[in-house]
Amino acid sequence: MAEVDLSKKVADRYLKREVLGEGTYGVVYKAIDTKTGQTVAIKKIRLGKQKEGVNFTALREIKLLKELKSPNIIELIDAFPHKGNLHLVFEFMETDLETVIRNTNIFLSPADIKSYMQMTLKGLAFCHKKWVLHRDMKPNNLLIGPNGQLKLADFGLARLFGSPDRKFTHQVFARWYRAPELLFGAKQYGAGVDVWAAGCIFAELLNRRPFLQMEMNLTLQEGTSDIDQLGKIFAAFGTATSSQWPDLAYLPDYVEYQFVAAPPLRSLFPTASDDALDLLSKMFTYDPKARITAQQALEHRYFSSAPLPTDPDKLPRPSAKRVSRLSDFNPQEGPTVLSPPRKSRRVMPEREGFDGNGRRVDKVEEHAGEEKHGDGDIAGRNDQVPMSVDFSIFASRPPTRPTINSADRSHLKRKLDLEFQHPE
Amino acid sequence: MAANFWTSSHYKQLMDQEDVDVVQPLDRDKGITLEDFKFIKMQMASYISKLAQHVKVRQRVVATAVTYMRRFFVRKSMTEYDPHLVAPTCLYLASKAEESTVQARLLVFYIKKIYSDEKYRYEVKDILEMEMKILEALNYYLVVFHPYRSLVQFLQDAGMNDINMTHLSWGLVNDTYKMDLILVHPPHLIALACIYIASVYRDKDTTAWFEELRVDMNVVKNISMEILDFYENQRMVTEERINAAFSKLALKP
Repeated sequence: MAEVDLSKKVADRYLKREVLGEGTYGVVYKAIDTKTGQTVAIKKIRLGKQKEGVNFTALREIKLLKELKSPNIIELIDAFPHKGNLHLVFEFMETDLETVIRNTNIFLSPADIKSYMQMTLKGLAFCHKKWVLHRDMKPNNLLIGPNGQLKLADFGLARLFGSPDRKFTHQVFARWYRAPELLFGAKQYGAGVDVWAAGCIFAELLNRRPFLQMEMNLTLQEGTSDIDQLGKIFAAFGTATSSQWPDLAYLPDYVEYQFVAAPPLRSLFPTASDDALDLLSKMFTYDPKARITAQQALEHRYFSSAPLPTDPDKLPRPSAKRVSRLSDFNPQEGPTVLSPPRKSRRVMPEREGFDGNGRRVDKVEEHAGEEKHGDGDIAGRNDQVPMSVDFSIFASRPPTRPTINSADRSHLKRKLDLEFQHPE
Repeated sequence: MAANFWTSSHYKQLMDQEDVDVVQPLDRDKGITLEDFKFIKMQMASYISKLAQHVKVRQRVVATAVTYMRRFFVRKSMTEYDPHLVAPTCLYLASKAEESTVQARLLVFYIKKIYSDEKYRYEVKDILEMEMKILEALNYYLVVFHPYRSLVQFLQDAGMNDINMTHLSWGLVNDTYKMDLILVHPPHLIALACIYIASVYRDKDTTAWFEELRVDMNVVKNISMEILDFYENQRMVTEERINAAFSKLALKP
């Protein structure tokens, strides 16, 4: 009973306003936080229908955003259950970078572009420092607040990448933003995938259209489209070779491409400065190991040379019709959708599963795969290691395991006592 | 991740032992002592790992689930929240948070297999309802650090990553989840304590290696002592003693 009252109280804290739209896992509405007077966006996560409790994607987002507090990452202000549904309270964002790029009434100066890129990379560098991969970088997920601050949002595909040798799915990112290693099926990858996507966003800011955009009818044919996307990349930067990228031929889905020479980078970005071109070429380096990191990119001379980045306050923003939104919400009146339809990235043959039955088998395979992979590193795979040193009290499991008996114990204690005479 | 432990929510939430060792008033009214409280949590930790063996999840998921369960009972009473429901729900939540989802109905299936007793059997609906309450009690903090990663790195660094030492110290780390250490100490210090015990046990001289680490060896020593005390005390614990703790909990107020 106590918690019913509590949830009412929390829900009463927010004054509900208009619905902003329908997100991937529920309704998003605008509200006023009566405690702070702040405008917020509340995501209501539907539970009732599915038999699997709190939505997996939502849980990922909660888990990571609770750890990521930075001016360039969307803030999760609060979370509370109300009438059986989980509600997430986010800071309210006015628009997003895709809307800015598409708006033909907005002129983006080189300094403006620099400012947007700097904020994007700051948010990204922060994630990477915390060992979080975003894995869905695209203009549509870069939200812009009332003061012009750009913030990374939609962490529904993000995950921690600290564990060495963990395998991930390569089915992440909207295809145009996918790094070549992902398109070649790499399952062990790192922060470089986000940097590649940030490079695509940089290019999109310069040219005002998606950089490695594929024809819609091509992207719909699954299977061939990764190959087509690589063709697109190679047409822009030349076919990747083993001399540039030593691991290339060992990638799971590697196929040889006909050699195409790279056109001069300048021809692709006629308006870009030399510094901008240099940074672009470093973000689009094929070998992920040689690719610039988000932190290094921030230290690139592009950001310190004139013109300096525009103050976020003074950045041009859409004025006429402000489409207010929270991370994954498609405005109902629908401006031209230039990104691939959301569904194509949400429905994934994933190993990380919200799906039901296939999952169990899948996990076994994953483990088997890992087993083969890291020989010598037994401790990484617990199933070969005794569960416990002493099971006597639980009277269960492994028959052959080391135990520590009382005699050992007093011997150990004596030794522990003896050996620490020097506390410093 | 080790580099970022110091900025994590886990680090900020570390507690003093005295704050962990508080029996909730409602439970105290039923005569639950601190010892009972510890036994029940220990029993639930082993329940979680038993369930985990059935549904086949990584040790890391078990460790996270046990941590959730222990954090939960720092804040909530066992009288209001049945440990036999909280424990499996923590495993359910941890499996999602650690990216290896287990279906609720699968858990329910194994709960019924483990317990013939009606009163410990719960349905999917119960787990899903409890999931929300646990999330709330945890204040939505779900990222937990564990000693395993640093254990492997330390053993490698000390040149002691042979099968023998790895198994022994890994097993010791598993056992630390039968205590509240993960709520009180940074995981890498727990790892060091386990390595220390294992190396003394196997007669390996690690003094020089430990001296070069810039850690407070007094803390490592204290953790080691706590672990050894735990092993010693376990010898005296009978099943009747544990059952007695649960019967107190089952008393009607």
